[in-house]
Amino acid sequence: MIALEAVNLTKRYKHSRRPALDELNLEIEGGRIFTLLGRNGAGKTTFLRIASTQLMPTSGSVTVLGLDAVKDAGKIRQRIAVTPQDAETIYPLTARDHIMLSLRMRGMEKAAAAQKTRAAIEALELADVADMNTDWLSGGLKQRVIVAMAIATDAELIFLDEPSIGLDPLNRRRVWDQLARMKRDGRTIILTTHYMDEAEALSDRLVIINKGAVVAQGTPQSVKESFTRRSIRVEVGSSFSEKDLEPFGRVLTVAGRYRVLTDAAGAKSLGEEAVARGASIAISPVSLDDVFVDIVGEAEKGEEDEN
Amino acid sequence: MRTSRLRSLWAIMYYLGFIPMLRNPLFIPFVFSSPFTLLFILFVASGGTALPFGIAGALTMVTTELGLFVGTDLASYKIQNKFQDMVVASPVSPLVYMFGVALSELIFGTPALLVLFGLMAWHGASLATVAITMGVVALLWVTTTSIGFFFSAYAPSTQNAFIINGFIATLLSVLPPVYYSVSKLPPVVVPLAEILPTTEASSLFQGALGLGYSITPVLSFAVLFVAAVFLLLLVSFKMKWRET
Repeated sequence: MIALEAVNLTKRYKHSRRPALDELNLEIEGGRIFTLLGRNGAGKTTFLRIASTQLMPTSGSVTVLGLDAVKDAGKIRQRIAVTPQDAETIYPLTARDHIMLSLRMRGMEKAAAAQKTRAAIEALELADVADMNTDWLSGGLKQRVIVAMAIATDAELIFLDEPSIGLDPLNRRRVWDQLARMKRDGRTIILTTHYMDEAEALSDRLVIINKGAVVAQGTPQSVKESFTRRSIRVEVGSSFSEKDLEPFGRVLTVAGRYRVLTDAAGAKSLGEEAVARGASIAISPVSLDDVFVDIVGEAEKGEEDEN
Repeated sequence: MRTSRLRSLWAIMYYLGFIPMLRNPLFIPFVFSSPFTLLFILFVASGGTALPFGIAGALTMVTTELGLFVGTDLASYKIQNKFQDMVVASPVSPLVYMFGVALSELIFGTPALLVLFGLMAWHGASLATVAITMGVVALLWVTTTSIGFFFSAYAPSTQNAFIINGFIATLLSVLPPVYYSVSKLPPVVVPLAEILPTTEASSLFQGALGLGYSITPVLSFAVLFVAAVFLLLLVSFKMKWRET
């Protein structure tokens, strides 16, 4: 079953010259975790807001759970839940109040809401702080409360805009576990993230958006494999300059060190050159992070060249 | 469906109105310090004779602030908390949400209103008069809440909403003849004052407190009613629920 389909989806904001979404086409299968990756301002949140019936598109269409996102917004809203980006807790409510508010305002009976709230508190390990004013909680705990407000619902389709922002690695994994559990229950999760490891660990499929258009999509593995021309990452020490490395592949600078994305032949040549110079190198398969930097960087470079 | 809507309404009122009031009862005197300070100043400065004007003014100002604070709350839920985003993408209807937030603010202000109704009764107003006064409060509340809704929809930031609503509160309930009689104004500005719903409401309160009606009561009711209906319609047409 297709949970969401976008056809030629375009969004132009009044005061922006460039469209936030530019004829974007996307199909998301139900019962899966789907991740949207992209730089800040790439159009991820705009897409999420249109698909979750918060924002009108300029043109094109979005079908959510078989319903038109513009005409059937009311029916869609019965079946979805959202965690907005940068959401904040409400003073002076506790974590339990927040989750109860989210469930009760959706019309859930008190006993059922209380039971689901307890389950969400337990699942996200919020029990110790459940009855504390959320203003006293750390940023990570507050974020877990915000996420709990959406995942405690019965929604079939959940939109999470950067749900793990501000969470430490352990807490991120707690959220991941919950998302995986929800997927097992047959629910569909669409999320945005800047964490490539999160996308790689969680997603059944992902899409990379750049400047409002899809530049790559597939499973994390297939996206990586589709870039076979640069399937190997070579970390290089200081005995090479950027110019020395350019003939071997695409050169990235990460934390002051050079990283070359190349193919098997390029890696072999670079290895020989390193041996000749007595320099050390480290070879590994490319990560999603490398692929992202490669694709988005290439797209932007191409644009600069055109200009 | 109706039960579900009532549950939604109750949840919004309970969690955004009752709980803040119960957990922070000290906020109530802080929030409504201005109307009661003006009442106190009038009372002391007049040796007690201007107390009815103080009560009428404070009733008008508290109700105006209750309505306008809804706008500040909405701006905060929309811009700062992003709670409104969660609500938009949920089965909660815009009407239930708006009504729920408006009632939550009313709940928060109920103690202040009860004190003023008590002062009215203590001053000698009959139960029937107090009941009519409550009706006037309701009409004024709808009017000022609509103004609050309207400005919250266009406020670019929470701070902006605070400043705008504070300014409008002063413009509507301190400068016009709210704590004093319309007859004290130079005749040239009287028509200007009379188009304000707060002037009409205060005139009705002053009449109910035995000070005499400075404007015909029927005219005051009519202006208040028209203002409430007009502003409600304006808000329902202009309110941004789903952004464009």
